[in-house]
Amino acid sequence: MTRFFFLLLISWLILISCKDSGEESADSVNNKQWKFVREIKIDSISPTGLQTDGEYLWISDAKNNRVIKTDLDGSIIIEYPDIKRPMHLSLYNSKIYVPEYLTDKIKIINDDEIEEYPLEEKPDAPAGVFVNDSLIAVVDFYNHRIILQAKDHITLIGEEGHKKGKLYYPTDVVLVNDKIYVADAYNNRVQVFDYNGNVLKVIGNKEKINVATGIEVTDDNIFVTDFEGNRILIYDLDGKLIHIINEHLNKPTEISVSNSRMYVSNYAGSSVSLFHLK
Amino acid sequence: MISTIKKILIILLLGISASLAQSDEVKVRVDGLSCPFCAYGLEKKLNELDGVDSIFIDFEEGLVVMQVTDSENISEEEIRVKIEEAGFTPKEIVFSGKNEKPDKDD
Repeated sequence: MTRFFFLLLISWLILISCKDSGEESADSVNNKQWKFVREIKIDSISPTGLQTDGEYLWISDAKNNRVIKTDLDGSIIIEYPDIKRPMHLSLYNSKIYVPEYLTDKIKIINDDEIEEYPLEEKPDAPAGVFVNDSLIAVVDFYNHRIILQAKDHITLIGEEGHKKGKLYYPTDVVLVNDKIYVADAYNNRVQVFDYNGNVLKVIGNKEKINVATGIEVTDDNIFVTDFEGNRILIYDLDGKLIHIINEHLNKPTEISVSNSRMYVSNYAGSSVSLFHLK
Repeated sequence: MISTIKKILIILLLGISASLAQSDEVKVRVDGLSCPFCAYGLEKKLNELDGVDSIFIDFEEGLVVMQVTDSENISEEEIRVKIEEAGFTPKEIVFSGKNEKPDKDD
């Protein structure tokens, strides 16, 4: 009988320990975590947007009204000047899509040429953009909504407010697997919508995010920048928190992940932080 | 011919001096300028006012400095509305330069 209770106790302890380890990430199951590698310094920039293809970095330097293309060490290769306060970027088919905050336009950088994307609905201060095969999503900061433009129709997602499904000064957007992930910046959360505007999930309420400015979504994870909290929060696709990075960051604005490398733009640090999944 | 060129130069110089003399400054102080989306949003809204030549944002001081062609043409109320449109609460609006606004108590 004593042996039975002893075995029961051991089983219970094993169950508890399994439950605790369930808080860890899928990455940590594979014994992998994001580790800081180095800070890439770039003189006199205040980055608000960042994208990488694994070979180059494209950075929105809002303070200096330009987008720069650098190598992975931060050496500037090309500068695209006279872009009025560029914000969160999108990289698609080797083109960089740039929301020009002061002019309400989306610019396309294609090697040496810059052209304007024809928007059917004008935003007021486009803070972010995301482009895929059939859609362009524009973050309409002052109208508290996402403009989803297809070839033949437009869908407006969200409206001003704080309740579930409402947005309050959104700043970034990502489209993955027919879902719209929105950095609902001043509601301090991420919201996930379908293409009809129905809210599917709210992420980050428990973590007391202090301005959720940037978002990145991969096959396994959702990454969120907590600008004032100086953190990166990493969730699984169900919205379960799996990891928080709170070192080597300085007012993070955007994240770009490629080939197990995560680049984070530091608005106040004139730099980009590099992390490896190891 | 030379005297005609001189006259043109004098007229041009007088024009430039006059426009410089009319360039006034408006300082706006708000909280929350550390966030670029908010700070540049405020810049965008203030730029919509007539007569704004340039805007400088001092992030550390939480200060926006506007160079305006003639501050007589911009009211404090108009600026206040734009600040609120940008999502801020106005703390302090100070006019300076040629057309400095008198204090309300004067």
